[in-house]
Amino acid sequence: MATNKFKNGNLYIIIYSVVMVVVVAVLLSVTAMSLQSRQNANVLNEKKNAILQSLGKFENGVATEDYDTFVDAFAVDADGNVIEGIGPDAVIDMLFDLKGAIENKTYPVFKSADGRFVFPVTGNGLWDVIWGYVALEADLNTISGIALDHKGETPGLGAEIATPKHQALYKGKKIFEGTEFVSVTLVKGGAKPSSPSFVHEVDAITGGTKTSDGVTAMLKDCLKNYLPYIVAETSIPEPAEEESESEELSNE
Amino acid sequence: MSNVKNLKYLTGPLSANNPVIVQILGICSALAVTVKLKPAIVMGLSVMVVTAFANLVMSLLRKSVPMRIRIIVQLVVIATLVILVDQFLKAYVYDVSKQLSVYVGLIITNCIIMGRVEAFALGNKPWASFLDGIGNGLGYGSILVAVAFFRELFGSGQLLGFQVIPQSWYASEGGFYYNNGLMLFPPMALIIVGCIIWAHRSFNKDLQEK
Repeated sequence: MATNKFKNGNLYIIIYSVVMVVVVAVLLSVTAMSLQSRQNANVLNEKKNAILQSLGKFENGVATEDYDTFVDAFAVDADGNVIEGIGPDAVIDMLFDLKGAIENKTYPVFKSADGRFVFPVTGNGLWDVIWGYVALEADLNTISGIALDHKGETPGLGAEIATPKHQALYKGKKIFEGTEFVSVTLVKGGAKPSSPSFVHEVDAITGGTKTSDGVTAMLKDCLKNYLPYIVAETSIPEPAEEESESEELSNE
Repeated sequence: MSNVKNLKYLTGPLSANNPVIVQILGICSALAVTVKLKPAIVMGLSVMVVTAFANLVMSLLRKSVPMRIRIIVQLVVIATLVILVDQFLKAYVYDVSKQLSVYVGLIITNCIIMGRVEAFALGNKPWASFLDGIGNGLGYGSILVAVAFFRELFGSGQLLGFQVIPQSWYASEGGFYYNNGLMLFPPMALIIVGCIIWAHRSFNKDLQEK
């Protein structure tokens, strides 16, 4: 009887809850810590595969090139100069906090053995972050491939950006009109082949307008950071790039 | 005697008392993760592990748990197990864990688990409760696998990612066959579950209402 009274008392409930919470907390922390390195390795591998996918070297879950031999990585600053002392592994690590790296004006660049470039991009979709990898041909104008992914867009609508069907639309699109940076825009209602800017447009996702707008903004905002580097690497003259950049700023 | 009874805990939920097709519980995740077989199998196993251990732990605690906070204690136990499962999936089967996405976390809200803990584990011995959990997990998983089998076969022409329907049959290769796109959408899962319930009831006359 006495124990029963104690068992229904507040003191017992409080002690019970405290012990329970402490046990659970310790159990979960130990598990999380012991599995962390494996989980990080998985995420890292996924990023490498996404880069290979944008280069067309990762299809149906199988990589056809070895990342470490096929892709070189370095970082550039806001003036387009390669930053010394950041090795390929450090560049990959930057992808874990790409927004922070962009704020610090360090921009990761991946260069494939066949002379193409991959620029990581990140932005916001409708619900959560979206990100991707844009592979450009050696002319740094034509899109060779793209890998897009998202954290929590609506399945069947915004989440369609992660499908091969949508990503195939980007191939061959150009990010420059003459010398002016125009990026690639997702057009609601579909890109019309008759339109003069068709080469800079792809179909937006039906029912995923906000996500599509997010992709458009992400491509523009992130690729813009690489303009000084692109100018330095190619024959696109500098003034045009300056002009387009200021134009965009005024638009925002 | 006790072995026969224990066996009943294990086999009962497979057919006569199946949580999905008789009690109609856990339908939401059954619709969401059954597009392909692999995630369905992993989901079935995860739910089985969580139900079994939630039952076991709650049965061990059943005499000491204060009745006034028992639902909260159950939630903590179930949530802890689900987080553990989620962490293991992320570490060892990362691609499946990505496909299952939020549904692993949502195992917490799967009515089967709370239902078994509340209805069975609180009044039974640990071993019986553990078996009951395994049985219900298997009952849930078996329906998931059955639904996913039809959806993957007719929706993508594959099983476990391997092409089953010959490529030469497809219209794009000059054949006559098309994948059924509707199979990839949740409504078709509901229709398949409905068909399974129909067939199951025709064979088990005692389930039919008078």
